[in-house]
Formats: sequence, C-alpha cells, structure tokens
Amino acid sequence: MRKTFVWILAALMVLAALPAAAQPVHLTLWHSMSEDAGLLLDSLIAEFNATAGKEAGIEVESVFQGQYSEAVNKMNSILVAGQTDTLPDVMQLDATGKVPYASAETAYTAEAAMRDHPETDMSKMLAPAMANWSLSGTQLGFPFATSTTVLYYNKTLLDAAGASAPATLADIGALAGRLPEKTADGLDVTVYAHVPNTPTLCNWLGQMGSDLVNQHNGTEGTATALACMDNGALVSFLTEWKALYATGALADTAGSTDAFVAGQQAVMTGSTSNIASVLEKVGDRFELGVAPYPRVNDAAGSGATVSGSCLAMFDHGEERRQAAWTLVCWLTSAEIQARFAGGTGYLPANGDSVDSDAWKQLVAEHPQYQVGLDQLMQTPETMRSVTVGPSADFYYAIMNDISDMLEQDLSPEETADILQEDLEGLLTQYARANAQ
Amino acid sequence: MQAVSLHPSRKPGENPWKALLLVLPMLLFAAGFVYYPFVKTIIQSFGLVNFRGELTGFAGLDNYRYLFSRREFFAALKNTLTLALCNVPITVVLTVGLAWLCREKRWISPLLETLFALPMAVSMSSVALIYRVLLNPTVGYLNYALGLSVGWLTDRNYALAAILMMTVWMGIAFNFLLFLSAFRGVPQDLLDSAALEGAGTWQVFWKIQLPLISPTLLYVVCTNMIQAMMTNGPVLILTQGGPARSTTTLIYLMYTSGYGSSNYSLAACVSVIAFLLTLVFTLLIFTTEKGRVNYQ
Amino acid sequence: MRTSPKRAGIRPGDIVALALAAVVLFPVFYGLCGAFKSPAEFAAWPPAVLPRSFGYTENFRRVFEQAPMMRYFANSLAVAMLSTSVRLLLAVLAAYAFVFYDFPGHKLLFFLMLGTMMLPADTLVITNYQTVTRMGLLDTYLGMSIVSFVGASQMFMLRQTFLTSPKAMREAALIDGCGDLHFIFSILVPAVYPLLLMLFLQSFLAQWNAYLWPLLVTNRVEMRTVQVGLTMLTTFESTNYETILAGVAIVMAPTALLFIVLRGFATRAMNDGPLLS
Repeated sequence: MRKTFVWILAALMVLAALPAAAQPVHLTLWHSMSEDAGLLLDSLIAEFNATAGKEAGIEVESVFQGQYSEAVNKMNSILVAGQTDTLPDVMQLDATGKVPYASAETAYTAEAAMRDHPETDMSKMLAPAMANWSLSGTQLGFPFATSTTVLYYNKTLLDAAGASAPATLADIGALAGRLPEKTADGLDVTVYAHVPNTPTLCNWLGQMGSDLVNQHNGTEGTATALACMDNGALVSFLTEWKALYATGALADTAGSTDAFVAGQQAVMTGSTSNIASVLEKVGDRFELGVAPYPRVNDAAGSGATVSGSCLAMFDHGEERRQAAWTLVCWLTSAEIQARFAGGTGYLPANGDSVDSDAWKQLVAEHPQYQVGLDQLMQTPETMRSVTVGPSADFYYAIMNDISDMLEQDLSPEETADILQEDLEGLLTQYARANAQ
Repeated sequence: MQAVSLHPSRKPGENPWKALLLVLPMLLFAAGFVYYPFVKTIIQSFGLVNFRGELTGFAGLDNYRYLFSRREFFAALKNTLTLALCNVPITVVLTVGLAWLCREKRWISPLLETLFALPMAVSMSSVALIYRVLLNPTVGYLNYALGLSVGWLTDRNYALAAILMMTVWMGIAFNFLLFLSAFRGVPQDLLDSAALEGAGTWQVFWKIQLPLISPTLLYVVCTNMIQAMMTNGPVLILTQGGPARSTTTLIYLMYTSGYGSSNYSLAACVSVIAFLLTLVFTLLIFTTEKGRVNYQ
Repeated sequence: MRTSPKRAGIRPGDIVALALAAVVLFPVFYGLCGAFKSPAEFAAWPPAVLPRSFGYTENFRRVFEQAPMMRYFANSLAVAMLSTSVRLLLAVLAAYAFVFYDFPGHKLLFFLMLGTMMLPADTLVITNYQTVTRMGLLDTYLGMSIVSFVGASQMFMLRQTFLTSPKAMREAALIDGCGDLHFIFSILVPAVYPLLLMLFLQSFLAQWNAYLWPLLVTNRVEMRTVQVGLTMLTTFESTNYETILAGVAIVMAPTALLFIVLRGFATRAMNDGPLLS
C-alpha cells in the first residue's frame, strides 16, 4: 500500500514537472548542400542540437530544399502565395536570392539582428565575405559557405616543362607548345579550357578596376547598363582573351575537372569549394598546385570576387527570432567555420577561424587551402560580385557571345558591342517589369 | 478494308449530357491545373511581371517584340524544330522495324519483348545521368570504344545530336510495345490469304499491316512530336543549352528566362509560342487522319 | 486466337533483334556496372565497362547513409500509385465518351485535352503552387499528385484503341440493358487490360520520377520522394560518377523489377490475342 502510494506520488511529481520543463524552441533550417557538404552540415546541426542548442533549449531541423535555384524558387512561390508561416527560420541563400529576400516582409535581416544584439560582436566576420551579402546598403545575411575562384594547376606537368604557376593570361598562353602533346595514356593535353561567364568576367574586369554593370555591379540598386564600355575594360579583356586563344593554349569549352584530374588539362580555374574533392581525386597522380586567380595582364590588379551562400533569417516571433540568432552565431563561429571549410573547401568567413586548431591542422596538411583565403583578404573591397535580376540569361549570353568571338573570329570591339546590346537588353526588360 | 469515318461506333441521338458527365472529371482537373494557369501565362505574356511573378502592368506586344529580337530565341526555335523533325521519323522507323521483327509469337518473344521494353523502366534523369558519364570524353566509354575524341556535349557540332540520340532512346521502349501489339492485332486470315495470293513480305507490309497499324502510328507520331517540341530535361541535365546556344530548346529557354532570370513574361511568351506551334503541328497531323487512318 | 504452332529454332531475324537489343540496353548495363566501380576505377584509363568486382558496395552504402531512401521509396510509391490510378480512371471515362458519344463540341474538348500535353509543366508551377497551398495540400500525397491527374496521352491512346473496337460489342451490351459504367468496367476495361497495364506502367514511371513538383510542395523531410533523395547525394555538376550511378541504380531497381513482373502479365495477355477482337 505504501509502495503504491510512493509510486503514485512519484508519477504525480513527474506529471507536474512536465509542463514546467521548457519545451525546446523548434527551428527549421533550409539548406542546399548536397553530397559530402550536406552530410557535414547535417552532422553539425546534430551537434548543435546536442550541445549549444540543448543548453539554450533549441532544437533545429535541417531540411534539404534542392539546389540554390530551387530553394530560391520555393521562397519566391511562398512569397507570392503569401504563405510566410511556411518559411523556415534560417535559410541558406545564394546571390540569386538576395533581391527576393530583401523584398520579403518577414525577412529578419542580419542588419536588424545585429541591431537587436549589440552585445554580440560580429566584426570578426571577414569584410569581403560580409560585403557580398549586402544589398543597397542593408546587410541581408551572414556568410556561411564562402568561396572564391582560384587557379588549380598540375605542378608535376609544369615543373617538367620548367614553368611556374601562371600569374596572367599571357603566362597561360606561354605554356602552349611547352607541354607534352600526349599524356602517358596517349590522350591529348590542352593547357586551359574555359568560357568566361558572369563571375569570371566580373573577376577580370574587377582586376582592371571596372564593374561589369552599373550601380556597383547591381549591389546598390537595380543595374541598368554595362559599366565596362566607356572605360575600355571590356575590350581590353576581350583582346587578351582572343590573344590567349590565338596561342593555342585555350580550348573554347567549359573547363573539365575530369580532364584536369586525368592530366589532360594543365591548368583549371574553379571554385575553392571543390578543393577537397579535387585533392581526393588527384590523389598521388600528380602534385596539385593552387595559385591565385590569373590576372588579365601585367597592368591589372589581382583578386577574385566572393561567391557561395549566406544564412538568411525570417521572423517568426520573438522567441524563434532569438533562437535563430543563436543558431546563426553558432554556425558562423570560428570553430564551426573552420571545420566546415576543412570538410569542403569553402573558406572560413570568420576571421578567428585561422587561429583554430582545425584550420591550422588543415593548412599544415594541405597548404592549398590557404591560397583562397589569402586571395579573399587581398581582393579590394570595391570588387563585388554581380547582382542582376536576369541572372541565368546574363550568364549564358556572356558565354555565348564570347565564344562566338573566338569561333567566328569577331573583333573584340564588335563583340563588346554585341555583349552590350544583349546584356543591356536583358537589364532594360527586367528594370521595366520591376519598376514599382 | 476501306477507310472508315472518324467515329465508327458513334450513335447520334444518345443523351449528350451523359457524355459530358463522363468527360467532366478530366475536364475539371485540366481546367484547374492546366488551363487556369495557362490563361494566367497568356495574360503574363502581354504584361509586365515582376521578379516574384506578380503582374504589375500591361506591355502589349513588347515582350514578344523583345523575344523576336533575341538570337537565343531563333536558335531555340531552330533546335526545337530540328529535334522534332528528326526524332519523329527516326523513332517511327526504328520502332516499327523492331516491332515488325518481333511480331511473331515464338519462344524467343518474351525475352525480346522484355529486353526492348526495359528502357521504359529508366527515368529521364537517370538516363541523362548515365549518358553524361557514357559521353564524357575523359572517363566515358563511348569515345574509347569508337576510337574517337569527340566532345559529345561540349562541341557545338555534336551536342544536339547527342540530345537527339538520348530522346530517341527514351522513346524506343513504349513505342515498340505499342507497335508490337498493333502488329499482333492484324488478323491472321488476312495475312494468310495475302500469302495465298503470292504477296511478298514487302507488299504485305505496305498493303495490309501498315494500314491496320495506322491508329497506333497516328498516336506515336503525335505524341513523339509533342514530346520533342517540349524537350527540356535532357538539355537541362546534359548541356544547359550550350555550347553556344547549340542545344537551347524553346522550353529550356523558357526555363532559363523564367526561373533562372526572373523574367516571367518572357517565359510566358515562349510558352505561348511553343504551345501554338505544337498545336498547329498536331492539327496538321490530324488532318491526315481523315481517310488515311484506318479504324477497322 | 489464331495461334500458329510454336516455332522453335533461331532465325537470322532473331540474331539481328538480339544484337539491336544489346545496343539499346548497353547504356543501362553500363550505368549499372558503374555503380559498382570505385573512384579509382573511374579515373583509370582505358575506361572499362565492367567493374573490377560486383562486390564493391561502398557507393550504395554512401547513398543510404545520405538519405532515408526507404521512406522516400514509400512516398514515391504512394504518390505514383495515387496519381496513376486517378489518371487512368479519368482517361478511360473521357476516351469512352469521345469515342462512343456524339455530343456538341466533342472535337474542341478532345483537342483541349490533348492540348494539356503541349504546355510545359514549368509554366504552370507557380500558379499551381498557389492553388495547392490554398487548398491546404502542402506536405500531402494528394497535393503531390493532384497536378498529374490529367493524362492526355493515356486518354489519346485509349481513344485510338476504342475506335478500333467492333460496334457490335457495345450495341449488344446496351441491348442487354448494360449501363455505360457497367459496360466500361466489366467489358471494355477487361478487353483492353494489356494496354491499360502498359499505360499504367508508363504513367507510373513518369510519376515515380517526378522531381520539381514534389520538392516544391513538401517542406518536411519525411514527405520527400526518391528523386529528391537522388539530388541530395549528387548535384548535376558533380563528378562523383560512382555515387551518381549508385543512386541511379537504386532508384531504377524497384521500377525495373515492377516492370519485368508486370511485363510478364502483359505479355501473356497479349499472347492471348490482339486487343479488342
């Protein structure tokens, strides 16, 4: 009898305690990381739930929402349908999501969050990475998966030819004829393959101090015209590009990681976010070199723009806003940024990451990781990535028109005019539809 | 064996409301989930649509005018028509041939039928991913096997052919099965009496089998033409319209202009044009139905 | 049924057919083999068709590790079954009306139905998303399948087949006092069931492989379909071919099995005689 009484009492106490124990705040994170990066992000979220999240009473569910474009699509559809309660608390957004996100009524921008949390110091975030997520003077989100474009090269092959890593387009051209014609397997060797697109053209123009489009590459307002015509930057680049093609060192096709890894292509420009997988694929076939993004010519500066994605927050009430802030702070912390970088090749966007053991160990083992970060720090802050509404049409128009210059032997001036007509046509059409 | 009218079993005078009632369920869903959005699309093609897809103003014919000024549009038109004009005859000849070869029911039939029908089980995206590996000049098998070094997906002279190859491949299985059952539907006594009259294989094919499989032929020609006009998936996965517009199709252009570029009114114009073109082709094909297609 | 005696032996035509089948099926075979290759084998020159060993299952392990594939299979199955069943039902009813009834505007209606094939689904997505959201169907099987209830191509094929059916068949049935629905489901459908099976397969596979729409109308991981799982483990730009192909093989396996089984039924049914005679 007494035993039963004790049991009942215990049960009552448990029941009474239940409502008292704070329900964890449930957060949703939408991400677009697939493959290894997706696994890594999921494991980081699990770790957050078990540690910092548990302490703060937060439980995060991470949901894959397709690739960036698909996730942005979904966000758009939700915004048009007015179903803002189905939006997540935190979302991984790429540059194409900036404009629609900024227009969302329930966006909880990084700007607003920092105002709400003056006690938290976000100044340790790297300035160039932060600047990439600012639109018309408003900081939208915090950089999470940050990358930049670098030059990968087959060091073994270049060493044998007595060449060092090319620093300019002319250096790449000079490699023509100096490399063996065939690999050990009897396959043709090319020096370099690339078709310039929005970010890479923007890099090369930026090195010459020019934007691709006005409104500071569309980051301070809706771009309406090219900004690289009157200053001659576009023609200068196209001239160098055509000269490079004339040397025979350039193949007018998109670069191929497969060909590079197989030793069929000596140099390749690509995102730092692929370093981990390129390193793994190259293995011990040859020595992999990573160098800064090639300069247009000796007169041009160096550097390349930032790309990748940021963490953007939505407002679902005070409690969840607080929790989202906690999560974002954790994901952008020095330690987590360093670990995410090590598993992928993205650059740590937190300035303190370089002092973490994770980063030190990584760079000691693979110094290649450091190149992108150094380049990011040396890139002038005035060099910004392009934000335009018609982004896909823009991207392909640039590729197609520049490819036409090489294949149809058009002059750089003619090509610049064609580019201007095509790109400004797109911008005008967009500006008109989005005038309100 | 004379050609018969369009609707041989139709019984005039029956209650038409019953018929409407039978069509109604499909009609409702078509209205709600196809034509209602399409009407919106048509309106958008004459309007200004912002990056969220909201109609903000009226543009008249400006969107169409702008579209017609773009090189991409004409490249897409040319590529789409090329795909449709090549896909249909290749598919028909190939699958009619295969079905003819397998038409007799014999011990080997189940094996052949299963083999030729198997590609149906493979999804478009799976096929495209496999082709991406197979056609890859570095790691793929095709170039090595053929002793070539062709950038199937990166050379502007070959890329459209690669897309065509894939779309034809995807249609083989289903069309083969349809033709097979059509061939088997040809009454044996007709074939027997033709054989008695001394008709050769070729004559039997043209005079007896082909007319009798014509309903299936009409179906295959129509659906393949429509599908070819709607080609997008393989392009999206394999070439993204490149290199240099050589594989941009109308629907792919709609996709990049609409989704990729927040230019919904331009995408709407392309949709409307693709729809009208396809409809005209379908109606043209259907005019041949009268008198030529034989519903025995 | 006019069966000829079973004709045994190999003929030249069989050799040609088998050779063609080998060519047609080569990509599938090549893809399957690729799922068993290691990254090193993909990197090796010359490229091989066969993997070193079919015992190399690391790629499959990776796929299952990255996504709850079994749950995705169940979802895909539910969505594909639902949309295919409704689609065929609606198509049978409509095709029947178009063939056996003369009603005002039947030509226009027929072309309106056929016209649904000429509209790229991508154009309709945003509006349909709004409709489905307003109906409260986010994260439901119905919401995922409702946009594919209209199967114009299936309706068209059924029409073509019904048109070849002997008039007498329906007249006799109607004289016997058989109603439309009774005629459809107890006489017409059994008569064309090999074709229905084929259409079912074709439509089921198309739904099984849907990607964009299921992704858009689901926000929860547990409602996702296999194609979304496939994308999670490989982007289209990815060069991890062995994982891509393992994903392809995993997505393909259930449909291929279903296919071979159902094909067996359909073949036997077809062997019993041509459709509708």
